[in-house]
Amino acid sequence: MGVLRAGLCPGLTQDMVQLLKSGGIKTVVELVSADLEEVAQKCGLSYKALVALRRVLLAQFSAFPFNGADLYEELKTTTAILSTGIGSLDKLLDAGLYTGEVTEIVGAPGSGKTQVCLCVAANVAHGLQQNVLYIDSNGGLTASRILQLLQARTLDEEEQAGALQRIQVVRAFDIFQMLGALQDLRGAVSQQVRSSSGTLKVVVVDSVAAVVAPLLGGQQREGLALMVQLARELKTLARDLSVAVLVTNHMTRDRDSGQLKPALGRSWSFVPSTRLLLDSTQGSGSLGSRRVACLTKSPRLPTGCQETVDLGSWGTPAFQGDHKGHWEQSPVFQGDHT
Amino acid sequence: MALQAGRLSGRCSEPLGRCVVTSIGLNLGRRTEAVLQHYRSSILLARLEGRSSLKEIEPHLFADEESPVHGDILEFHGAEGTGKTEMLYHLTARCILPKSEGGLEVEVVFIDTDYHFDMLRLVTVLEHRLSQSSEETVRCCLGRLFLLYCGGSTQLLLTLCSLQTMLCSHPSVCLLILDSLSAFYWIDRANGGESVNLQESTLKKCSQLLEKLVNEYRLVLFATTQSIMQKASNPEEGPSCAFNRPGDVDVDYRPYLCKAWQQVVKRRILFSKQNDSKAGNQFSLVSRHLKSNNLKKHFFTIGESGVEFC
Repeated sequence: MGVLRAGLCPGLTQDMVQLLKSGGIKTVVELVSADLEEVAQKCGLSYKALVALRRVLLAQFSAFPFNGADLYEELKTTTAILSTGIGSLDKLLDAGLYTGEVTEIVGAPGSGKTQVCLCVAANVAHGLQQNVLYIDSNGGLTASRILQLLQARTLDEEEQAGALQRIQVVRAFDIFQMLGALQDLRGAVSQQVRSSSGTLKVVVVDSVAAVVAPLLGGQQREGLALMVQLARELKTLARDLSVAVLVTNHMTRDRDSGQLKPALGRSWSFVPSTRLLLDSTQGSGSLGSRRVACLTKSPRLPTGCQETVDLGSWGTPAFQGDHKGHWEQSPVFQGDHT
Repeated sequence: MALQAGRLSGRCSEPLGRCVVTSIGLNLGRRTEAVLQHYRSSILLARLEGRSSLKEIEPHLFADEESPVHGDILEFHGAEGTGKTEMLYHLTARCILPKSEGGLEVEVVFIDTDYHFDMLRLVTVLEHRLSQSSEETVRCCLGRLFLLYCGGSTQLLLTLCSLQTMLCSHPSVCLLILDSLSAFYWIDRANGGESVNLQESTLKKCSQLLEKLVNEYRLVLFATTQSIMQKASNPEEGPSCAFNRPGDVDVDYRPYLCKAWQQVVKRRILFSKQNDSKAGNQFSLVSRHLKSNNLKKHFFTIGESGVEFC
């Protein structure tokens, strides 16, 4: 869209483009908002032809009006709710991650954001048998950790291998690589690259702050434009491909009040439809694996609900069980106990 | 030409979209286009006289003497999570519900620029407001809603240009919603280079077009703008100083969109969330009429059935 050229729409020939250029009309917007009588006089094209051209361009490039009822019917069939595999988070998210939406997990370093992402990936790949695209910009993903999470669910090695195959990992350490990865995804889907194992249902971006934060700050505005472009890419991807997008973000301190708030500023805060805040519990005397998840933005539930999430209970392999219990109840040691 | 004009005015019950197509087929010249345009507006105006006014759209928000009349442009401004989109769902529901359920039974055009529109949430609001909610009634209500998704400011401009044809063929559209107008702000600024005029040119054209549409087709426009600028570090300076009268609102407002938009807005409504823990999830809005400088504050909560005024 933008510059007029031959073949842009039916009926636009190279001669017409040249004549319009001579009259100072180079882009679609200029043609559509110009006074067609003046243009007809200046360029030597007929008024009728210009009106017809304008009509065709508008029909081609303006947004199509969807009827609400049709859209609702379509959404009913394509929207899915994907369980995260963590009961307390599912409660906060109203049963799970919704496709067509962007969900954000915010927390300080070490609060467990990557662990949640890995758990979601493992659950979707194994429990729901769907494909996952994991875009890693932090270096926090290790296949051995995912294997550990899968081993906690099933001991069957075939199933574990199958689940691992459903998770596609892309490493993107700057915003252009990330945008490229999203474009590749669109290309693969549009060419209908069929994978025998299932359809893509979740895209995890861990973390979005790592690629965007270096662009912000200072006086340059291009960084903000790139961030908004990435946000739009993620949202349109979620909508068009019916996938659930899960992103993670850091925390920063507010300049005036000194309180912690999600990073990336106000312009990013409008992007996700749901936001979960992960916080380490203060002084609970725990082993340090408990987190409090708080719902700070939701289109469906009232905000402010909190649930406790225990990170330590994930990924312990099934044969080991609870660490303390094993050593106490094992018959070998009981016998030796005197 | 006179005969054809007479024929057109006699057929005013037909959808005007068809008249437009006929004019092209009949090889009419530019003067007849102008005459047709005039007839189009006058026929439309004649047809719209008997339409239910939007006074009842939200009695809590718009007291009688300040109700949005046709041709009004209202701006919803606020930070994230302050209830602007919920208010839009509330107003949409009020419009599309049938008269028997307390609605206005008019059609709504919703332009979504940042893929924010949540159809499932709107359906939940409708289901809670209908006395007997069935699939059929919900679908019937949703049939009065038209959604357009815009991917860029150029597409927004082209969409507004082609909205004329759509409005001609749907005479019961009373409400135009634009969520949100500021979605392309940073992208436009980056694309426009150093010249502020270039950066703002598309939005300026959009604002002028919106004003023209709203006046010609007698609509009411609700547009949201996001509060994306930091608060002024010194409250006394900057454009927000107009609000810092004693006992006044605590919401910061920094205008950043183009002057053309500032000029067409008739009323600005600023949203904010109450932060005290005992108030729970309470929101407040301040409605300011820009010509008369009339200020009014309202409080509301958001429940399953949408916005509820306190």
